[in-house]
Amino acid sequence: MPTPRHHLNRERRRQARADQPVADPASPVGLLTEPAPPTRRRTAAKPVQEKQEKQEKRERLEKREPRDEEHAQGEEAASRPRHRVPLLVLCVLTLLLGGFAGWAQSRTGELRDDPARANTALTDPARTSEIKGQTAVAVAALFSYDHTDAAAFERAGKAFLTGKAVEQHRTLFAGVLAQAAAQKSVITTTVTDSAVERIDGDRARVLVYADQSSVSTAGPAKPKAGRAQPKAQDQGVYAGAMFAVDVVLRDGTWLVEGIDTFGR
Amino acid sequence: MTRAVRTPAGSRPALAAALVLTLVAGGFAAWTGQGWYAAAHDDTAAYAAERDRALAAGEQAVQNLNTLDHRQVDRGLDLWESSTTGELHEQLVDGREEFAGQVKAAKTVTTARVLSGAVTELDERSGRARLLVALRVTVTTPDNKSTDKDSRMLGELTRADGRWKLSGLGQAPVGGTATG
Repeated sequence: MPTPRHHLNRERRRQARADQPVADPASPVGLLTEPAPPTRRRTAAKPVQEKQEKQEKRERLEKREPRDEEHAQGEEAASRPRHRVPLLVLCVLTLLLGGFAGWAQSRTGELRDDPARANTALTDPARTSEIKGQTAVAVAALFSYDHTDAAAFERAGKAFLTGKAVEQHRTLFAGVLAQAAAQKSVITTTVTDSAVERIDGDRARVLVYADQSSVSTAGPAKPKAGRAQPKAQDQGVYAGAMFAVDVVLRDGTWLVEGIDTFGR
Repeated sequence: MTRAVRTPAGSRPALAAALVLTLVAGGFAAWTGQGWYAAAHDDTAAYAAERDRALAAGEQAVQNLNTLDHRQVDRGLDLWESSTTGELHEQLVDGREEFAGQVKAAKTVTTARVLSGAVTELDERSGRARLLVALRVTVTTPDNKSTDKDSRMLGELTRADGRWKLSGLGQAPVGGTATG
């Protein structure tokens, strides 16, 4: 039968609530020196006690009264924003830096992929002159023929040609060789000017201007060289040639991979 | 009491991990940024770009100077003059009247096509360059006969007002400069 006790407790609580505004809320002493709580706690029924405690807790929290449990809660509440701020700053920084890194990387890629930059003709002077020098040697060997040493022509083909250039070279010289052998000709080709159009790693394209002289030592047959006039048979005939060669680097040597005679 | 210990200790590894990530990102940013700066301020790239500008302008100028229609001589010769500078330009201006008369009399149409071209020398500071241009010139006479002729052009370029113009043009000498 809780009725009289309930009533009593209710009365006490009401009184306590009524008392509180009177007590100085800023001072924790007021609450501690209050005589009611100890007696109440001892006599009060369980649900009431719980309620009472909750209320006391709320009051203490409001007044920031330190107590073991509350101390922990208070620190947690305070530490959460305190630890989150640097964490958040770091996250934002990471994102910004990562974003910049990605952007810079893509810009660098764009710049590096610029076709002008990929072509190292002239910008790499050592390689440019190496290609010019080796192309001149290869062209001189490939486009010269001495009837007394026909094997040298074959050797040059094997040494300086690769890929489709082998067939192109054979086609170019098919008619010339038979004629040159019959006329006992000496065809000499010299590169007079050359320019590297493009170097892309181990491939390059070279524009070649060459002089071709043809000397026949077997009577008055017509010399072969291009649009030259057979006016000075004994001194030979000169003709200018222009073509482009594609060269490729194989084992340290630039080999002719393609011969472009511009449709002639 | 256990919660009190766990909470700060729980955020500290997260903080440390975030710091490591930030440092790694910072390292990447510094590395890529430096790479980007180097790529953007690459002298070689600037030189390559200048080479391509010179070549493009040179090829166009050589083509212009080998193109002339007797029906539009003045327009053609204006183009010649705008494509050249220096001595070559003066030569063209001086010989303009005479040349225009010859072309009008011959009634020829000359067109040219660049087969290939490449720069052999480039001094980007002094603004001078040399180039080779392989050219196919087609001349059409009044009786509609056209002949093709390949020309091995040697050009000299000079940069004037930021533009590359031809200051010299000639054909590569054929045969026996050594023997006469």
